[in-house]
Amino acid sequence: MKTDSQLKKVLNRGEFAVTAECGPPKGADPEAVRNKGRILKGYVDSVNVTDNQTGVVRLCSLAACALLKQEGLDPVLQMVTRDRNRIALQSDILGASALGIRNILCLSGDHQSFGNQPHSKGVFDIDSVQLVQAVRQMRDRGHIIGGDKLTEPPRLFIGAVANPFADPFKYRVARLATKVDAGAEFIQTQCIYNLNRFKEWMGLVKEYGLDNQVYILGGITPLKSARMAEYMAAQVAGMDIPVEIINRMKSVPAKEQRQEGIRIAVETIEALKEIEGVHGVHIMAIEWEDAVPQIVEEGKLFPRPEV
Amino acid sequence: MDQKSAGLNITIFFCQQIDPDQDTNRRALEKELGKRIRFFPLPCSGRIDPLHLMGALESGADKVYLVTCPEGACRYQEGNLRARKRIAYTQGLIEEIGLERERLELIITPAGNPVTVDELARGLLAREALIGPSPIRG
Amino acid sequence: MITAERKPLSEIKEMIAPYRKILVVGCGSCVAECASGGEKETGLLGSALRMDAKSSKKEIEVKEMTLDRQCVYEFINQLTDVIDQYDVVLSLGCGAGVQAVAGVFPKVHIVPALNTTFIGETKEAGLWVESCRACGDCKLGFFAAVCPVTRCAKGLFNGPCGGSRTDRCEVDPDVPCAWQLIVSRLEEMGRLDLLRKVHPPADWSKQQGKGPRKIHREDQST
Ligand code: SF4
Ligand code: SF4
Repeated sequence: MKTDSQLKKVLNRGEFAVTAECGPPKGADPEAVRNKGRILKGYVDSVNVTDNQTGVVRLCSLAACALLKQEGLDPVLQMVTRDRNRIALQSDILGASALGIRNILCLSGDHQSFGNQPHSKGVFDIDSVQLVQAVRQMRDRGHIIGGDKLTEPPRLFIGAVANPFADPFKYRVARLATKVDAGAEFIQTQCIYNLNRFKEWMGLVKEYGLDNQVYILGGITPLKSARMAEYMAAQVAGMDIPVEIINRMKSVPAKEQRQEGIRIAVETIEALKEIEGVHGVHIMAIEWEDAVPQIVEEGKLFPRPEV
Repeated sequence: MDQKSAGLNITIFFCQQIDPDQDTNRRALEKELGKRIRFFPLPCSGRIDPLHLMGALESGADKVYLVTCPEGACRYQEGNLRARKRIAYTQGLIEEIGLERERLELIITPAGNPVTVDELARGLLAREALIGPSPIRG
Repeated sequence: MITAERKPLSEIKEMIAPYRKILVVGCGSCVAECASGGEKETGLLGSALRMDAKSSKKEIEVKEMTLDRQCVYEFINQLTDVIDQYDVVLSLGCGAGVQAVAGVFPKVHIVPALNTTFIGETKEAGLWVESCRACGDCKLGFFAAVCPVTRCAKGLFNGPCGGSRTDRCEVDPDVPCAWQLIVSRLEEMGRLDLLRKVHPPADWSKQQGKGPRKIHREDQST
């Protein structure tokens, strides 16, 4: 399986990339993963598979990525440092590469106290930046943490996340720089609703010269309802949803709110395309994967380039 | 039935500031009721320790009162607030061993209406007996 | 200091149920400072157990005793003459104290009355907070004396997670975000440069060792 990362190829060609998120099922059903893959196929360049997101036990990201690969998609393996120590992480990285998975997104992960295993031991042996660094070393220098040589390095396009809306704001870009130093090649951001703040952040990114060193994919999450918007604004850590957006969602009747959510997502995509240094979008339609084709089409991102 | 006729053993911890002549004032009552009533003057109700309260219960008190000076009148400022917290803590502890929290009670003397300690005690003895003898008395 | 909290009485009662003569042993050091296992608390527990037994018509004998330090042989030795008269020792020492006593008296039954919780500081009267996880490789010098191992819920070494908003930790809004503190303190000191390099993975072997760690110093031994 000497294929390369589709995401990397698209980005390297200078195309505006599209990725989407796929949450694996809370069970051992492979069809659930395949079905989501089929919905997304052709509309995105790559599909992120979440890793026990919010600390809820789900089918593992690695297996789901392998299933998507079989469906002909280019999966992005999300890997959190919450649940596995460096032995397990590095081992899974090798396994992923062997299965033909070509992208990895390194995260620290939501704290275990949020999920359905709140009594578990949070591992956090290494953090997301150290994970980025470890993958980069494995791939480029052919050694694992501690220096032992690999017989065959993994082939992975390495990503990390950034939250332009978290505090302390100014330091956020310095943190991004740390991730880039550690070896991140692409960045997927937290969902963007506050475009002004995002632009301000991108300004700093440019000031640091980071826009030339890393591909930035803006996060998009279509809102399903005004209630979801309010919930997310109040309850989800690190989420910034301005009142105007919430009011806009409220201003339409309940059964048209989904459409309004999609419209906002499409407008945000249009705006992101105009921002220098933004290289694509990452659509996280939570348990609403079938919204993705419509968003991609209306965002004039269809068809996806053949590379 | 009031607490006196119910034959309850009463222990009263109290802030000395309430009654400057407490020493003399309580004599008659002590003579009358003997071991059934016990007074423990404190320099400030905030000096109460959960150990004192437990000790009183352990040595057979059915009802233990902690009497503080009026709210805001504490010579040591927050003594009576502390007294309240100590009572609450000890109530939690006795509940764990199956005793009613009512066996410990905080009494705040009303402001601007000075009482002597024996008046106060008689008032408490005349209260309706809502709990019976403590199981600790055996 | 080591902090601890008393176990629920029901749990303590269950552990001592098979025994009749109980020696309750407090410790005058850390657990006295955090008001969980000092002389007072030992007295309270003894009193509570006696009353409990009496009200449930059980015959037990409870005696209290508090050592200055329950984790040092010289002090534990004070138990030598009395310990044989009891069926069980109920210790209000921290986990180290309980085990130290057990180590000196191999045949004695000993059970803990406390849950040992953390290494912490007294923030104010009645408030103790965790501040060190004894990682064995102190890095406070890089982090403006705010421990990321302990005070960041995810133990992050290279900056805050994506959830930190305002100055609270996303995991528990009652707790300040360690990374906000680190960044603002370093900024204040003009030492943000300390955050520029990537901190490599920590050496947890210094914390986990090969099982229990020990410190052995020739110059201190007799
Ligand atoms: S870095 Fe290690 S030794 Fe230093 S305070 Fe944190 S846990 Fe304790
Ligand atoms: S909010 Fe701050 S303290 Fe809490 S986990 Fe994130 S970085 Fe750590």
